[in-house]
Amino acid sequence: MSVQKFPGTKLSAKEMYSLPGLVESSPQAKYEFSAGPTISRFLKGLKEGKILGRRCPRCGRIYVPPRDYCEFCHVPLADWVEVPDTGRVETAVVSYISVKRERLEKPEVVGVIRLDVPGYPEDGYEFAGLFHRICMDPEEAKKDKTIGMKVKARWRPPEQRTGSILDIECFEPVG
Amino acid sequence: MVTNLFVKDRVAIVGAGMTTFMRRALETPRELAWEAAKMALDQAGLTLKDIDCVVIGSAPDTFDGVHMKGEYLADGSGAFNKPMTRVYVGGGTGVFIPVSAWWHVASGLCRTVLAVGEEKMSPAHPHPQYVFRYIWDPILHRPLEPNLIWIFAMEMRRYMAKCGAKKEDIALVSVKNKRNALDNPAAQLAANITVDDVLKSELLVWPVNELDISPVTDGAAALVITNENVARQVTDSPVWIEGLGFTLENQHWENRELAYPRYLNYAARMAYKMAGIERPWKEIDVAEPYDPFDYKELHHIEGLMLARPCEAWKLLKEGYFDRDGELPTSPSGGLLGVGNPIAAAGVMKVAELFWQLRYEAGKRQVKKPVHRAVANAWGDLMQAGTVIVLGN
Amino acid sequence: MSWDKDWRTSEIIFWPEREEVDKYVYTPGISGQELAKALMDGRVLGIKCKDGQVYVPPKTYCPDFSQGELVEIRGPWRLLHYTVVYEDLYGNRLQNPIVIGIIKPDDASNGLIHIVNAELERLRPGMELKPVFKPKDQRKGIITDIDHFEPV
Repeated sequence: MSVQKFPGTKLSAKEMYSLPGLVESSPQAKYEFSAGPTISRFLKGLKEGKILGRRCPRCGRIYVPPRDYCEFCHVPLADWVEVPDTGRVETAVVSYISVKRERLEKPEVVGVIRLDVPGYPEDGYEFAGLFHRICMDPEEAKKDKTIGMKVKARWRPPEQRTGSILDIECFEPVG
Repeated sequence: MVTNLFVKDRVAIVGAGMTTFMRRALETPRELAWEAAKMALDQAGLTLKDIDCVVIGSAPDTFDGVHMKGEYLADGSGAFNKPMTRVYVGGGTGVFIPVSAWWHVASGLCRTVLAVGEEKMSPAHPHPQYVFRYIWDPILHRPLEPNLIWIFAMEMRRYMAKCGAKKEDIALVSVKNKRNALDNPAAQLAANITVDDVLKSELLVWPVNELDISPVTDGAAALVITNENVARQVTDSPVWIEGLGFTLENQHWENRELAYPRYLNYAARMAYKMAGIERPWKEIDVAEPYDPFDYKELHHIEGLMLARPCEAWKLLKEGYFDRDGELPTSPSGGLLGVGNPIAAAGVMKVAELFWQLRYEAGKRQVKKPVHRAVANAWGDLMQAGTVIVLGN
Repeated sequence: MSWDKDWRTSEIIFWPEREEVDKYVYTPGISGQELAKALMDGRVLGIKCKDGQVYVPPKTYCPDFSQGELVEIRGPWRLLHYTVVYEDLYGNRLQNPIVIGIIKPDDASNGLIHIVNAELERLRPGMELKPVFKPKDQRKGIITDIDHFEPV
């Protein structure tokens, strides 16, 4: 007694755009996001060429990106610490499309960097890290050895920094 | 995790309905909801008069382009002058809808609940993928101009690196699900394809090709969920909700391991405990793991403990998860085959298990006898897990 | 709020953003499609449900979930309630205030929301109005095909 026919009326793109009574509208919403005190300070650190993390006074975890509170202990975080701008590639992908899903002329490599922040076990489930671009050849990035590869931040020249995540141009392989 | 369950009523599903899943629908979102809800009521042999409460689920309002979609969908979902709840946990919403309906009924507050999921993604232009931009952190992520697919590609790469799976091993999921969908009259992307077709389809974000991804879809799905008394009156074969679970993992996905879905594992343990299941890999007969991407089905099979971590892709190659296999997964065709109208997709998975457990799935019916089934969904920015265990 | 003792509000960084969805495209739906055709002919439709109630504009389904029957709305139309708008969406003062009213035809149970072109002093609930359609070549099958309502 299985269902053989389901309701619903399919349209092709052409049929849809030529429907009588079709309404099109463009929203003009504008937003302004506050970075909040903690991320504002982190961004200021980037402007100075430093990656800042924040330590939990109870469990000792260092959070990068920093937070206001410890996710595990639920207490306010206290100390600011500068962490190394080096790390290992946790995962890396090669994007051939833009945010609007158009083909990119030059593919770009992006991924997650597990930063060399003390206090986390080597291959632990949690770690301090950043999501960023990786400056390397796309074909190289697809090779197995990319995962776990050592990388270091490539900073923009100080006069070009604006206090944004883009003050780090990308992470690039070292050695 | 400690859960203290005082359950007033046993809860059953007695009807399911859904629209065809399609790229562009003529119907307005409300009309889609109405078509699915009406079909579910008709299947249950009930009318709107028998419904006490309504639960609606829908993902971000930004797809339909209608704000406060719960209120918007209310009349199409039969919520005239009735208590109505809208739930939302991103992609996990689909399974969270029956979960929410469960507590409406189990608490004794409502006898019969109409649970509706709807999504219409075609209104958003230039492409619905662009709307997903708004789920990224505006300060730390958006300046990098991320496309939504990046994050899944990163997870897939991590899974491949950690588990030794290759692209062609993972592509088999897409092949299986699109083939399963051939028997589903509601399917959008049913096809007989090969692993080669997947590997040769447009490369979007390596390692993700176009055929690794579920499509953009308009559609709705609905369930009628009621207590034991009503269920026994209206049907001889109610499908019981035996367990449910939902957890949130760390939202800072750049600070955690992506190869194993811990968010799902916690939710699954909660659901299995409630259902009295100790060895899910033996006790579950059929599963609908959430599969917006092909690797995601493997990921979720492992999170649901239907296979050991990193072993799902090996079992897949042996045909273990085929419709006539040891543990069929996504017999409906899944999101890859049937389509992915976000909140409705999860409800579709539960509806499929409902039909499987009543032996009403027709050509999609799995070969082995079925007693217990599990479905899951996953959402928000990688961290919400929702699970439901059903039995007949 | 922060737990830092040395923090100032002026140091917060703000990020402007625009909602960059190009546009939304809304399909008229099942009954909406019929209404679109009727509007282009200069007619208005409603649906009649089993209990005899008529709703305008037509939905595809009635409150009891059954599918209604499309009927033509003939009027006469009467002003039910109205409000006077002095500012536009962005808060700018309008030169000529706009009157928005709920206008109910005698042969339906509810009314349409639309613009009423009438002198403010003459407005009163219950007054008879009639729809004024745009010229035929400007109609698109949407609600603004009725340009406005005006007193008979």
